[in-house]
Amino acid sequence: MILLSIARVLKFALQDFGRNFWVSLVTVTILVLSLFSVNFLVVVDYISQQAIKSVEEKIDLSLYLNADAAEEDISALKRELESVAGVVEVSYVSKAQALESFQSKNRDNQSLQEALREVGKNPLNPSLVVQAKELADYETVINSLDKLSKHTVIESKNFDDHRNLLQSMNTITARTRQIMLLVSFIFIAVTVLVVFNAVRIAIYTHRKEIGVMKLVGASNWFIRAPFLAEAILYSFLGVIAVIAIFYPFIHLLQPYLGSFLNTASVDLVGYFNGHFIIIFGVEFLGASLINIIASSIAVGKYVKV
Amino acid sequence: MITFENVTKFYPPNTNALDNFSLEIKPGEFLSVVGQSGTGKTTMVKLLIGEEKATKGKILVGDWDITNVRPREIPYLRRQIGVIFQDFKLLPAKTLFENVAFAMQVCGHIPSKINLVVPQVLKLVGLEKKIWRYPNEVSGGEQQRAVIARALVHHPKILLADEPTGNLDSINAADIINLLEKINKFGTTVILVTHNKEIVNSLRRRVVTIDAGRVISDQKIGKYIL
Repeated sequence: MILLSIARVLKFALQDFGRNFWVSLVTVTILVLSLFSVNFLVVVDYISQQAIKSVEEKIDLSLYLNADAAEEDISALKRELESVAGVVEVSYVSKAQALESFQSKNRDNQSLQEALREVGKNPLNPSLVVQAKELADYETVINSLDKLSKHTVIESKNFDDHRNLLQSMNTITARTRQIMLLVSFIFIAVTVLVVFNAVRIAIYTHRKEIGVMKLVGASNWFIRAPFLAEAILYSFLGVIAVIAIFYPFIHLLQPYLGSFLNTASVDLVGYFNGHFIIIFGVEFLGASLINIIASSIAVGKYVKV
Repeated sequence: MITFENVTKFYPPNTNALDNFSLEIKPGEFLSVVGQSGTGKTTMVKLLIGEEKATKGKILVGDWDITNVRPREIPYLRRQIGVIFQDFKLLPAKTLFENVAFAMQVCGHIPSKINLVVPQVLKLVGLEKKIWRYPNEVSGGEQQRAVIARALVHHPKILLADEPTGNLDSINAADIINLLEKINKFGTTVILVTHNKEIVNSLRRRVVTIDAGRVISDQKIGKYIL
């Protein structure tokens, strides 16, 4: 009996959708725009994460030590650095390791190699390389490192470039998120209004049936349910459409992102595939919830028992 | 069966559609409620089907106090009271069969029962040969018969006919009244709300006359006195 009622409710919902096809189409289109903007927010979030990761890999806060620094002084400094909040690892790079790394990085630069040979000895100093837990921690770590003046073994430190880069990255990421959130909220608000209007029109189109249903004793649930089902139908079609549109979009975006971030680890399609159920499932549930609220308001206002 | 006890229905700003209205209707009765327009007849109908609530007083249907019926109880009330209106309220895009079947579908009946009951009630009202016609393909009288069939599918104890002959010529009107009498003979209480003098006088049944929201006359075998 319940299944039969559900089947009839779905039938009436589909009738509503069909009878007001153009209104339904506009409603689904607006919903698709909203979902597209939400997905774009997910992309922005993913890109920021990847960019941050890529920067984190490249940033190393180095403290250059005196060439004749005693081992116990270096160890004491290393221990102190490790105790700074936000620091995950402090590694010691000896003079020889620094030279090896420098030579390998500048293998193709003949003039530098020539200069090194002319100097005749290793001109590089040993250093301590500090890695912070997260990008946000670097600021705190840099501030803490700036206060390490009592250690005479430190010859130099320069974090200004990192500080600027980190600040601008954080600013851009936060600003982009804010803009996309605002855009998403605008679209969601528009969606609520459009769904409300679509259901209102569906109620108007169905007013005779509703009148007869009330007259012959259809339950309130049965009268109202098709409009709620229609709201869920809008969400379902909206999510299907956004999947169909969004995948080609991220396929197109993918190669540009890889070269823009200068890293091969960006796999936007893989990310969406890996989180398919969560991303689109949550979007379907969220859209259904919003549409059901809009639909309920319209039904409550226009379908009097 | 139905009791109105000192019922008042007030509409702002200053209209008492029913004013201390009292009426008792016994099971199986055929009752005509007459009165001029705006005297409270339709308000009485609306109160009976839960479309409006009384401002004061008490309304009983059987043992059920429907004075302050809750919204979720209204559908069950309406399944016990079949209602017929002057403007038919048939769905134009559905055949007569589908119109009657619709009343059962929306109340959750299974298809096999619908396929059994709908032809029976359509036969009862004399439409067995026109069940697949659309409302605009049959006469006004036949449309009203289909509406009566629709009202009967739930086997209501009460049939409430609000001006059922208002849009019909005298021959079709007489047919509808005959049909209502036939239904009444099966034990259904029939309340005929009308201001058709000829019909009321020809019925020779109980007549309640309303004026200004009050019962001014209640005759066992009555006549149209206005």
